[in-house]
Amino acid sequence: MTVPLLKVENLRIELATRDGVAPVIDDLSLELGVGETLSFVGESGCGKSMTALAIMGLLPEKVGRIASGHIWFNGEDLTKADDARLRQIRGNEISMIFQEPMTSLNPVYTIGEQISEVLRRHKGLSQRQAHAKAIELLDAVRIPNPQARVDDYPHQMSGGQRQRVMIAIALACEPKILIADEPTTALDVTVQAQIFDLLRDLGQQTGTATILITHDMGAVAEMAERMIVMYAGRKAEEGPVDQVIDSPRHPYTKGLISCVPHLLDTLTDERPELTEIGGIVPSLRDFGKNECLFASRCTIADEKCRANRPPEAEFDNQQRSACWHAGQV
Amino acid sequence: MMAEAETQKDDMLLEVKDLTVRFPVKRGGIFGGKSYLYAVDDISFEVKRGETLAIVGESGSGKTTAALAVARLVEAYSGTVRLGDEDFLALKDDDLRRARAKVQIIFQDPYASLNPRLRAEDIVSEPIESLNPLGKSERQTVIDGLFKDVGLRPEQQRLFPHQFSGGQRQRIGIARALATQPELIICDEPVSALDVAVQAQILNLLRKLQKERDLTFLFISHDLGVVQHMCDSIAVMYMGKIVEHADRKSLFNDPKHPYTQALLSAVPSVDAKRRRNTKRILIPGDPPDPINPPQGCRFANRCPIAEAKCNESQPPLREIKGGHKVACHLA
Repeated sequence: MTVPLLKVENLRIELATRDGVAPVIDDLSLELGVGETLSFVGESGCGKSMTALAIMGLLPEKVGRIASGHIWFNGEDLTKADDARLRQIRGNEISMIFQEPMTSLNPVYTIGEQISEVLRRHKGLSQRQAHAKAIELLDAVRIPNPQARVDDYPHQMSGGQRQRVMIAIALACEPKILIADEPTTALDVTVQAQIFDLLRDLGQQTGTATILITHDMGAVAEMAERMIVMYAGRKAEEGPVDQVIDSPRHPYTKGLISCVPHLLDTLTDERPELTEIGGIVPSLRDFGKNECLFASRCTIADEKCRANRPPEAEFDNQQRSACWHAGQV
Repeated sequence: MMAEAETQKDDMLLEVKDLTVRFPVKRGGIFGGKSYLYAVDDISFEVKRGETLAIVGESGSGKTTAALAVARLVEAYSGTVRLGDEDFLALKDDDLRRARAKVQIIFQDPYASLNPRLRAEDIVSEPIESLNPLGKSERQTVIDGLFKDVGLRPEQQRLFPHQFSGGQRQRIGIARALATQPELIICDEPVSALDVAVQAQILNLLRKLQKERDLTFLFISHDLGVVQHMCDSIAVMYMGKIVEHADRKSLFNDPKHPYTQALLSAVPSVDAKRRRNTKRILIPGDPPDPINPPQGCRFANRCPIAEAKCNESQPPLREIKGGHKVACHLA
């Protein structure tokens, strides 16, 4: 097997809360290959954004810290890297697109200046070169008339266009990994479709591996090759997207898929009740416990689930599920 | 007797005709005259008693404004809204107060739409006090019943909004909307602020309540999966106009308007068969400036099949088969 581009090993991230220290990421391992698209799925608070921030070295200072584990990027352990080294990597080799295109651009600089900044910082281009490259990038993200738009301020653009600018900034240095944190949640569906098309095309052209963080199973099915379902800071299930969606091996994954009404190929009169996942996510206080954290909401949980944290069961088709009853789901 | 009940059931509860809502906008310069933005431009639709009409469309299409105008929370510029056998827009004072009890709203954001200083029971009893006052013990019985119906425990009546989760808060919002025993409930994106697992609970609850209380919903959403699950008929809006209006099955299985087709094709799906069979129709560009809408069809500049005549005149909303209405020259 080839060496993966990114390898996260037994990562544990602790967050200081009023009630003490809570492991918001608990023993997470994953691998990402060159050019691959991996998706993180889960409800809010399950730790999917926290993982992304850890990879970027952007955990909130003094509150969150990596307690143990490693993040190997190209053979280098990012958990040991100092701030200067992380600054070199961020925006250059690993970059990120945030959820809110409305707030993640600086309103007092033109978009040309904001794209140029990355290029001048990391690639050492002159102002003129960077400006020319910025126009090229705007063209690549399909903004019409880039020559004129490059001197626009963010407020002069629509939400979809701003997200394209964010993508241009993120891809300016042709990073090896692009982390997209809910990149289309704030956008309309037709715009979302355009952004997905763009991400897919650019990913193929530049060979960039993508980590897509989302709660939309449809988006995962459309965009990713492999997916990781997170629950309460732990990995619930991992596997190739089509297989996981077709036959989930974890009751939580199953619930996540069937609790959302989906558009199907042909609509019939039949409208069954949606499956509910009863109860609510556990509070941070319960995060570190040696039990299955989903047990309180699970329909097939038994004594064993409440007494011990389930190990990962591996199946032949590369699906893995952290459930004591994975074989029966 | 049976026959009468039968026709009652078929009654239209809500009939909206030629509804227009406009907002004044300032033009630049000292001498810049006033001009208007037509957020909702001459739309008509009907909803049968006990059914759900979904209004879908992207941000800025006017779907929320249309619904708020129906509830008289924004002022309509012209048009009529018939609720049962009353002209709702013409009512004044006491008649209006009495009629307002029949139209209630569930808002999008359960974190922003509940007063943080009121206890849950006071939030729910507020509309009762202002719209149809009851005696104290009677009111308490109503509130107890409402809490039970929306799945909250009696002891939770004394709590403040911050002590509830998002889903529970939306349940309080639903109880408040039910408090005056309304006939029409406007659901403005009722689940889009909630986590997917909680969405299912709220959607199931809404459908259960609709069945039990014979409620009529005007359901506003941009999530076509949710709409498909909840509605009986759908109106698709684009830039203040209804471009397509049909029952659930014919709209989703056989969309006629190019915008509806593009909208449906853009929804990512977990259904592998749908992914294979759907060819994504990309509509490039942005909608035109709403202050100076184009002369012809408003979708023409992004439409993949537009012809010369589309830029000349606006297509009227016309029926093309059994209740399926489309506003397109070429459909």
